[in-house]
Amino acid sequence: MSGVNPGAVGTAASQGRVSCHQCLKLSDKTETKCGLCGARLHSRIPDSRERTIALTLTGALLYLPANALPIMTTIQLGDPTESTILGGILLLLHHGEYPIAGVIFVASVMVPIAKLLALGWLSWSIAGSRGIAHHQRTRLYRMTELIGKWSMTDVFVVAVLVALIQLGGLLEIRPGPAAVAFGVMVVVTMFAAESFDPRLIWDQEGPGDG
Amino acid sequence: MAEVNKAQVSEKKRTSPVWIVPAVALLIGLWMLVDAYRSQGPLVEIQFPTASGIEPGKTKVKVLDVEVGEVSSVTLGEDLKSVVATARLDKEAEPLLREDTQFWVVTARFGVQGISGISTILSGGYIQLAPGEAPGERRAFVGLPEPPVTPAGTPGLKIELVGDEAGSIVAGDPVLHKGYPVGRIESAKLDVGTETMRYAVFIEAEYESLVTSATRFWNASGFTFNATADGIQLEAGSMMTLLMGGVSFGEPAGMRPGQSVTDGMSFKLYPDYPSVNRAPHREVVEYVLRFEQSIRGLSEGASVEYRGIPVGRVEDILIEDVSMAGAGEPIPVLITLQPGRLFLSDDAAGVAQLRKAVSNSVTLGMRASLATGSLLTGKKYVSLDMRSHVPRQSEGTYKGRPTIPTLTSGLDGLEVQVSELLQKINEMPLEEFVVSATSLLDDVGGLMGDPAVKQLPASLAGTLAALEQTLGSLSSDSALQEQLQITLEELGRSLVSVRLLADTLNEQPNSLLFTQERRPDPVPPEGSR
Repeated sequence: MSGVNPGAVGTAASQGRVSCHQCLKLSDKTETKCGLCGARLHSRIPDSRERTIALTLTGALLYLPANALPIMTTIQLGDPTESTILGGILLLLHHGEYPIAGVIFVASVMVPIAKLLALGWLSWSIAGSRGIAHHQRTRLYRMTELIGKWSMTDVFVVAVLVALIQLGGLLEIRPGPAAVAFGVMVVVTMFAAESFDPRLIWDQEGPGDG
Repeated sequence: MAEVNKAQVSEKKRTSPVWIVPAVALLIGLWMLVDAYRSQGPLVEIQFPTASGIEPGKTKVKVLDVEVGEVSSVTLGEDLKSVVATARLDKEAEPLLREDTQFWVVTARFGVQGISGISTILSGGYIQLAPGEAPGERRAFVGLPEPPVTPAGTPGLKIELVGDEAGSIVAGDPVLHKGYPVGRIESAKLDVGTETMRYAVFIEAEYESLVTSATRFWNASGFTFNATADGIQLEAGSMMTLLMGGVSFGEPAGMRPGQSVTDGMSFKLYPDYPSVNRAPHREVVEYVLRFEQSIRGLSEGASVEYRGIPVGRVEDILIEDVSMAGAGEPIPVLITLQPGRLFLSDDAAGVAQLRKAVSNSVTLGMRASLATGSLLTGKKYVSLDMRSHVPRQSEGTYKGRPTIPTLTSGLDGLEVQVSELLQKINEMPLEEFVVSATSLLDDVGGLMGDPAVKQLPASLAGTLAALEQTLGSLSSDSALQEQLQITLEELGRSLVSVRLLADTLNEQPNSLLFTQERRPDPVPPEGSR
């Protein structure tokens, strides 16, 4: 593994050092504040696993109403039509708009679910001594952090439609309660990814494991 | 750095406050679920003939234009001939679901009564719920094919009109009192069994008291033209009823005040106002008159009058019976007499009273005859009157109906009498009479020409002079006069005793032979009354 052996290198914590969250300056772990920027020093993000689990759970809870409730209401000539995320995808498929259906499916269904599953699995895997496939887990974490925010596409689409399509009595689009749930879900999962400390993956690699 | 600033490296083992976030999310979620479950109202099934205008997930259920539910699914009914719309209603709407709750689909409608449901052109139809009031609850309903004119539960009076012809009356037409709309025709239906039109009528609560058992309804639509025994009549309603049709009601003059009516009471619908006045009463008694004369001029609806007072009308001329009858058979005419006209009560008791009165009157000489009512139109009416010098007759029956004996009268009667008179005159030996009269006159002429006759006046004068002399001797103070006076008195007394004798002989003829026995006067026995 091209010399990236944690056992051989050792972590800052194993060396009795603490890295500053803000300026990344290494300090002694006995220090409470960073000598350079004055930020509080923690060896790892405090309650990282707990926070990640809690926020992921919140995201999972919010994902239910986000799919069950209508994300937007189209009022066409006074005749309201409510559509859920899945309903919209099915409608697009029905009309043969496969690319758009695919994009929405990926952004609104696949990515959030994958993200929730990934965070859940990562949080679960860093507990105890399930130290396997550290590299894959780290890569998974990076992907989660990277693509997570793109789930907001759906919320943006609704926001743009609501703002643009206001044709008086002819056509009007209003956001549904699912938009709020979905938006909050995306934000919460982003926080969950943020609060996850990937170094915990490597902490499982005991000094004598190598 | 001072020792105090050194961090105590620790492995924290306490619950992070971040758990509040999922807890809050969970609580909100649970609350929403509970709220949704609790506010979930009843599920109702409404059967419609067609699903036109009903879309699951879109069509709302409304009460007074307030949304109370939504159609969740539309399926074919079990008989595959109707559709069943399942709607989820709000919890607040639950008390509205009663036995008599009505549902119908509101779509745009264009009719004589105006245009309704314009808003549904753009938004699509909705299901209107008319709250019921019946005590029983219900969850499965049969939707109305058309909106009811008056929703269930509207305060007011619901009665029924029974008419012979549909005329121009359709559901939604106004019901007028003195020309002012106070109600509506709710539905019109042809009763196949009795071949009558049945109208459901709704009178607004405010005007409920105007309808009593004495109220009569008539068709106020269009105009009517009538030529009857009363003359020619043209009746026209208001412009509205002329265009739309409608029903008027009121109390005919001279009606006894009626009792208040209850829902579901049935009234007769008269074709026009004059016919109301002709026969405003509910109860009628049928009689058959058998006329032995032409009934020309007597039409259905002609009045039957007793000494000029209208008491009934001619219902029918039983033509079919005429054709069946042999030549010269009397023509049966069906009439009805109305107890109400005779100030008897308009019910079964009045009917019985009238029957009895007619029966008595017929025995005493009441006869029916035809009379001419209007010389202009030649229309006739039936006149009932007491006749003297008629053969004693009583009520008969004709095909199960009582009959009143008739007299041939009017021009026909006159004709008969004149022809009889002429017959008699014809039968008289006029020619012989003339011949003998001529010879008589000839004889008289000859007699007058006799010289003896010519001398007659002279001898007559002599005779008169002698008579004068004789009469002079008979003057009041003459002896002859006195003698005569005495003789006459004597004669008077004798006559009295003769009369006494005659009386005695009359009573007791045997008194000539036997002596008279005086018997005590008869006394009636006591104690028997």
